[in-house]
Amino acid sequence: MTQNTAPALREGRRRFCLTLLAAPLAGASLLAALPAHGQERRYTIAFANLTEEPGVTLEGTGFTGGEIRSGFALAARKLPVEVLFYDNQRDGKKAQANAEDAIARKVDLYVLYCQDPDANAAIAARLKAAGIPILAVNHPVPGAPLYTVDNLAAGRIAGEALGQFAARSWRGQPTVAVIVGPVEARVDRVPERVQGVVEGLRAKLPGVKPVTLDTQGNPARVGALLGKYLAAHPGAKVLVAATDDTTALAAKSALEQAGRASDAAIASHGVDRTIHGGINDKKEIDPNNRGSIVIGSVAFYMDRYGYDVLPLALRMLRGEPVPPRTATRHLFITAANVFVEYPPYDMN
Amino acid sequence: MRIRSVLGASAVLLLTSASLAFAQTDCKTLVPPSPWGPNDQTGATNRITPAVTKAAAAEIQEGKVVVMSYPLVDGVPLFGSRFTKTILTATSLAPGGAYGENQLTYMEDTWLSQSHVGTHLDGMGHIGRKDCYFNQIAMGKFINQNNMTKLGLEHLKSFATRGVVIDMVKVFQAAGKLKTNAACRKPCLDGGTLITTADLQAGLRMYNVTLREGDIVVIHTGWGDLFEQFPKQNAVYNSAAPGIGKDAAKWLVSQKVVAVGTDTWVVEVIPSEDPKEAFPVHNILLTDNGIHIIENVRTDLIAAEAAATNRATFFFSMTVPKAVGLTGNFVAIEGIR
Repeated sequence: MTQNTAPALREGRRRFCLTLLAAPLAGASLLAALPAHGQERRYTIAFANLTEEPGVTLEGTGFTGGEIRSGFALAARKLPVEVLFYDNQRDGKKAQANAEDAIARKVDLYVLYCQDPDANAAIAARLKAAGIPILAVNHPVPGAPLYTVDNLAAGRIAGEALGQFAARSWRGQPTVAVIVGPVEARVDRVPERVQGVVEGLRAKLPGVKPVTLDTQGNPARVGALLGKYLAAHPGAKVLVAATDDTTALAAKSALEQAGRASDAAIASHGVDRTIHGGINDKKEIDPNNRGSIVIGSVAFYMDRYGYDVLPLALRMLRGEPVPPRTATRHLFITAANVFVEYPPYDMN
Repeated sequence: MRIRSVLGASAVLLLTSASLAFAQTDCKTLVPPSPWGPNDQTGATNRITPAVTKAAAAEIQEGKVVVMSYPLVDGVPLFGSRFTKTILTATSLAPGGAYGENQLTYMEDTWLSQSHVGTHLDGMGHIGRKDCYFNQIAMGKFINQNNMTKLGLEHLKSFATRGVVIDMVKVFQAAGKLKTNAACRKPCLDGGTLITTADLQAGLRMYNVTLREGDIVVIHTGWGDLFEQFPKQNAVYNSAAPGIGKDAAKWLVSQKVVAVGTDTWVVEVIPSEDPKEAFPVHNILLTDNGIHIIENVRTDLIAAEAAATNRATFFFSMTVPKAVGLTGNFVAIEGIR
């Protein structure tokens, strides 16, 4: 932010307000976003991240806040936007302070990623009073469009993939299913993911009764929990739905230690860097590792949020309608499509 | 009997031509034809005519030679699983190993290396779309376990032409948007920095240069400083790169250049503009237009020379071995002023 650009930003926001008033008039919004010479103006968009604390993973996946921030920075390169980054530090008060700073800087739009409903409501009121539109990420903000993961849909994809695998590979053999991970983590909405897995499994294997194994967020518990379960089901084929990729790799290890890897298939959620990666990383999901019992993982694309969220924000700034809820497009990533979805570029 | 033979031969011909037609049709949907005809395997070096070389010679005004390639040595940053290893054979230096009364001794090297290491040229057999390469060539039919039987480096013409250095560090500094990398000892564009058409044009305006057909464009980003710090900064160097995006690549194509080189391992911006695309600028330049990519070019000296003299053009001298069937090779480049 420099003083040179501030008048332009103020003018931009005045135009935005006028645009809202004139929304029913077709074409007015586009005109408002375009300076007289016809080139679109640049916007300043604030992104207040949930947390950028190193090592802290978000939404029950392996993605960090740093990866989300990086995705915004990369996506902004081709767009007429400057992104102003804030770290909410998983703290409602900090989130409110960040919003106040953004108001003072007269940003054009505020992207808010905060889990605290009270803070979200307070921030919404303050930004509304300042005439700054809001776009919410993963957690609702009153009056703001929401961009969010769809845990139920993601779970269904994983459940159906496991069910299809069993129907194709283990037809007629006794099959059990477990869902392992922090299955009760409501703040990350993992129970929705679990529900989706159950629905997906039942759609393909109506007779299966999935059991949940709660690691309470500690992947080191997977071995003991799964080992006990495997010992109780010695002759069965085992479908494992892991709520995240770290849990999936821990489950694979547990199955190998129990000598049951050949009886099992694992589907995961996230597709973080622990499971795909750079050109020389040991990648679990890799065309050269097609024999893995980790048959795939449902992509959450949190490292690419910016590529979805910033275009939505631009549509809002141009006065175009946006849906009240936009969900991440989840996709089952396997050895067959991982290089299409995540072409490796890190050459280390 | 004769009728049966004729019918049989016709059937074989039909099948053969059908399969060829299928492959060609397939590649025609993926790759444009060469402007130099259906048999062209030379690509953009067709643009280096005697007139182009003669005009470029006018750039040699002081006889000053500027090094534009890095030393080839074990330990430099390598892309992916590439490797290089030199082994010296010096057996005749052992006692009693010299030959004749004149005590002749000799040494030689075994150089185990992939071809795309150090300062190197990407040939047109390097990058394709599926199995379709430059000039709609379905390369699946033209490879064996040793090399390619089409699009090898032996088909290239001379690279003796005018070089133009575009100093992106200066452009970004002037625009107040330079974000350097902490590991660079001198100013550099950070990894992931997108170089646009407007940036290239601004760099050309700085030295009042207009590109002309047959030029080779060399872009200085400063990222090469990390290469020079090998092996300490190899991981940083390989993790990302500043570079041109797709629009800038298309603009360079429109300028009918012969090659684009930078002081990075990749020329294009990494991570890519679209995370679901793999090295799209390589496809635009090499696959679609036969324009060569030169990677790990030492650009700092020629950029400094341009800054000191306010002249960004030079005679581009590069040796490319006639390596039959190879997809690329290390090169030596000198900018002569």
